Amino acid sequence: MTPDGRIKLVSELLDLPLVDSEGRYCGIVDDIEFIGTKELKLKALMVGPGAYEGRIPRPLFWLVRKLAGDRITRVPIDRVRSIGSVVKLDCAGKVVGLERSEDAAGKWIPRGGAL
Amino acid sequence: MNPLELTLGIMTAVGGFVDISELVFAAKAGSTFGYALIWVFAFSTVGIIVFSEMSGRVAAVAKQPVFNLVRHRLGLQLGLLTLVASIISNLITCAAEIGGLSLILNYLTGAPYFLMAPVATLVIVISIWILPFKWIERVYGLLGLFMITFAVALIAIHPPWSEVAGGFVPHIPHGLNTKELLTFGYFCVAIVSAVMFPYEVYFYSSGGIEEEWGPKDLLTNRITSIVGMGLGSLLAISILASSAQFFGPAYVDPEIPGSTALQAAIPFGKWGLILALLGMFFAVAGAAVETCMANAYSIAQFFGWRWGRHKKPWEAPRFTIAWIALFVVALSIVLTGVDVMILVELAILFSILVLPLSYLPLLLLAGDRQYMREHANGSIAKGLGWFYFGVITAAALAAIPLYLLTAGGSG
Repeated sequence: MTPDGRIKLVSELLDLPLVDSEGRYCGIVDDIEFIGTKELKLKALMVGPGAYEGRIPRPLFWLVRKLAGDRITRVPIDRVRSIGSVVKLDCAGKVVGLERSEDAAGKWIPRGGAL
Repeated sequence: MNPLELTLGIMTAVGGFVDISELVFAAKAGSTFGYALIWVFAFSTVGIIVFSEMSGRVAAVAKQPVFNLVRHRLGLQLGLLTLVASIISNLITCAAEIGGLSLILNYLTGAPYFLMAPVATLVIVISIWILPFKWIERVYGLLGLFMITFAVALIAIHPPWSEVAGGFVPHIPHGLNTKELLTFGYFCVAIVSAVMFPYEVYFYSSGGIEEEWGPKDLLTNRITSIVGMGLGSLLAISILASSAQFFGPAYVDPEIPGSTALQAAIPFGKWGLILALLGMFFAVAGAAVETCMANAYSIAQFFGWRWGRHKKPWEAPRFTIAWIALFVVALSIVLTGVDVMILVELAILFSILVLPLSYLPLLLLAGDRQYMREHANGSIAKGLGWFYFGVITAAALAAIPLYLLTAGGSG
């Protein structure tokens, strides 16, 4: 399936993992952004804890925001190569801003010692 | 199919089957009800085989581990609930395994329990850091084969084999009063929970992805699940049968893992005891690794982080921080001084509550022809899957009332 095809959004796109062009997991489709008024079209995939707003009860979202912040990264829909059991991107996650938390965490991990 | 890989896979599954909860509940079940609960172990083993095979197949064909499915199939809200519940369940289980390890090290070396807990945790953390996935799984699984001592010990004491065989036939012992019936029911639920722990499926399916399984590995997956887990279950049944033979008639309640090890000491003396303790040590250490890694896999898969021990620890940093932090939390629970047996009972209780939520998405996806194509569940897998889903749902509903009514199986 490609982003131009007809898709049942909730069952087939929402909450799917994102895999970048290097085969690395780089997020989950936490929400979807549309464009247009009469005929809705997909604009971007929203990734990050901020996109949980409206999808979980308000007190729980408050907790999520306290713990993980309310960051949202928008992945333009034209960066999506295919939609199947995962959403494959046609670029590295870094290009669309998806690797920031992973990179930040990486600073805490010592290099070496692993086979 | 590589025969060496298959043999190693089966042996790993056998050695990795038993954990602290099975050690405790098998021994207690044997001493309390004789051979009457053997069929529950056998019945639950078929259940874990069904779901493990399914999770391995989904990993090989749809390339999806369990927690990706949980989120996609149950949605964010219910998925989050499942994630939190399974984190709590696996964390308590991991703490129980670390506590069990510390007890076993205390028996083996005489060193203080509270010193052994951080030492054991540190050794495990270092081994996970150093070893790639396949070797983590194999080192603990293969060394866990020392557990075969229990099966050999059972053969050596010449149990009444007809009565042992009779235990495989589903039945409820005659003449139990209401209180004993409730206790029997609690043991049934506890054994189903201990054998079908959700972490086993999270770990197994994530392992399939770590090892880059594809459709060519489906036969290996099926044989490993059936033979490996089937033989692993026989080790747990050996403990139950020895307990029925030794402890039941002597009115001994094998409350602590040390009592279970004595089963091998009776026929084989000191060396039997040492081999049994070594088997228990590696089996329980393997389970500690699996529970903690299963938790880290779940969190990483749910939030779409990079994950896996096929990567170097710094290549999947959030995943690495997660499993180290989870070990630290589990160790902290042990260091509060809470009784290991209480942790085991809580682990059993939480796990059974999580089981239906964990296995439902797996069952749905394994039957979905859009993802699984010709490898979707056939009529046998579908029938068994839904039957066991009904069983674990009923067990989940009964677990808390039975726990409260029987004071955790104490009657």
